[in-house]
Amino acid sequence: MCKFLRYFFYKNFAFTLVHFWYSFFSGFSSQVAYEDWFITLYIVCYSSLPVLLVGLLDQDVGDKLSLKFPKLYLPGQQGSLFNYKNFFISLCHGIFTSLIIFFIPYGAFLQTMGQDGKAPSDYQSFAVVTASSLIITVNLQISLDTSYWTFVNCFAVLGSIAIYFGIMFDIHSAGIHVLFPSAFTFTGVASNALRQPYLWLTIILTVGISLLPVICIQFLYKTLQPSVGDKVQRNRRKYEAEEEEKKKPTPFQRGRRSRRSAYAFSHSQGYADLIASGRSFRQRPQGRRNPQESIREAPQAENI
Amino acid sequence: MMASSYNAKEEDGHHSGAVGPGGAGTVKIKKPDNTAFKQQRLPAWQPILTAGTVLPAFFVIGLIFIPIGIGLFVTSNNIKEFEIDYTGMEESSPCYVCAHNYSWNNTTPCICLIPFVLDQPFESNVFMYYGLSNFYQNHRRYVKSRDDSQLNGDKTSLLNPSKECEPYRKSNGLSIAPCGAIANSLFNDTLELIYNFPNGTTITIPLMRKGIAWWTDKHVKFRNPGGNDNNLTTAFAGTAKPLNWGKPVYELDPSDPDNNGFINEDFIVWMRTAALPTFRKLYRIIQKKKDNMMPTLPQGNYTLNITYNYPVRSFDGQKRMILSTISWMGGKNPFLGIAYITVGSVCFFLGVVLLIIHHKYGSRNNNADIPN
Repeated sequence: MCKFLRYFFYKNFAFTLVHFWYSFFSGFSSQVAYEDWFITLYIVCYSSLPVLLVGLLDQDVGDKLSLKFPKLYLPGQQGSLFNYKNFFISLCHGIFTSLIIFFIPYGAFLQTMGQDGKAPSDYQSFAVVTASSLIITVNLQISLDTSYWTFVNCFAVLGSIAIYFGIMFDIHSAGIHVLFPSAFTFTGVASNALRQPYLWLTIILTVGISLLPVICIQFLYKTLQPSVGDKVQRNRRKYEAEEEEKKKPTPFQRGRRSRRSAYAFSHSQGYADLIASGRSFRQRPQGRRNPQESIREAPQAENI
Repeated sequence: MMASSYNAKEEDGHHSGAVGPGGAGTVKIKKPDNTAFKQQRLPAWQPILTAGTVLPAFFVIGLIFIPIGIGLFVTSNNIKEFEIDYTGMEESSPCYVCAHNYSWNNTTPCICLIPFVLDQPFESNVFMYYGLSNFYQNHRRYVKSRDDSQLNGDKTSLLNPSKECEPYRKSNGLSIAPCGAIANSLFNDTLELIYNFPNGTTITIPLMRKGIAWWTDKHVKFRNPGGNDNNLTTAFAGTAKPLNWGKPVYELDPSDPDNNGFINEDFIVWMRTAALPTFRKLYRIIQKKKDNMMPTLPQGNYTLNITYNYPVRSFDGQKRMILSTISWMGGKNPFLGIAYITVGSVCFFLGVVLLIIHHKYGSRNNNADIPN
């Protein structure tokens, strides 16, 4: 959930602050730096689904391993995943990204011309380039933040980028301009601007500069100061293999199963588990680790 | 939750729900379904940022960006560009008189001639631009001041333009066509290039005035009212010319009906507002010679013949004429090349630094296990 919040603030800062930088160059007239339709659809359509899925489905550590390492619950108790400091870091990250997203296209557009000589340094091409860089950057950023990649996550990220380009080409098409000339004024911009390899190189550079420091810093943190979650993730396969080992029944435990319940032929589970689960028992000594008896609920002394 | 073979959630739900009559099924059980999605058991890939992925990625990106940057930089350096400022602010400039004697009702246009020298010949197609500085075509009020329906040839909007065009909407009771501040400030200097042969004769270089606007603009966005074949004077009847224009819109290029009215390419190029306060717009194209023997613009002495109509002194603006060749990356702009080289080098350097850090500290942390 904290990831969701941090990312949400980050993407909105990155989106909004571009207007702030642009206002220095537009006479402080509050001219928007993107197309109006993009602004409407950004929050709803282009960037919301991946982060929603991260909020719902993301797991940094699986459920079984979470129980095995109770220390993983410490950050939640200490409130260390979302506090003023984290919010401030999100803000700074958003500011940095917005600076890159504005100033790299600014430098590229400052005195450029298109492949066929027709200057693409017009406002609408600039809007398309900054918007495309922003969408690709924030979606790749959520990919970096996702640690549990299901097919719905993949579909959401790629789908958001695809929807953005699909809708953009639609509302920049000639057909819709003929129907609504005043509402859709960006006719032909997407096809003209995104035809130029120079502008694609600008977008790639922008995305690269926005994301590479993030990868670098994340890697440094994981190498120099790994959190408990990081350590568990790193050795996840080893720990999961250990779990599997313990789950396998030891060969000489005859008779155990039959003691669990007197209802050998009952249709439902009955109440035998109430007895056999050990919940009503006294605390057993810690030395015994018998998976069949489901003692995991009992040793509260191990939790902090 | 139990680590045993049956699902503990079922057991819990069963306890809370089945205390009453179990067989009747009247108690509603609120537990979530035992599907992979709802129990968060979907098959997943759980990547982590290890040194094995990050370090090669940094090196690869560095190795890709640096050649791209070098390619862009070299291409940009090979593009020939020539710029000449003709605002006429300093006394020594030939256009000083024109700049300072601007008045509204000038019937005789002010002409100034600026000589210049091209050190290198320009090959292939040469593009002639006019550039303006300190002209905020991206000001919000300015950008909104147009009527796209009118420019699309809509008859009702022609005679009743949108309110956004105020105060350039009506003049003397008639609607202005094209309305709005963008159209009103159309750039109306005329630039001509004259080549001076060494023996003294001169030749005016032929300039193409079509093919300078985007195809989608010329054929989709801008249409003359009543179609292109009609007599434009009658099509625009009942409208007035913009306040700052010398002639009405249907006289922008009377010799060519495909370049007259709203679909005049200079007008279309102007209406495509620029992103930044310093911009250039395509003015004319000098086509390469058919036989390919002579360069398009041989080196030597030239004269720029300017009909100085456009006043920029009041807002400290500047006017320039730019001649440029074009490559696959467009015009001369070393910024992207330098940026790519810088980012590629930094990336590579960071890769090396991270490799060192990983060697020194990474293996120490890998062996540290978490107390259970």
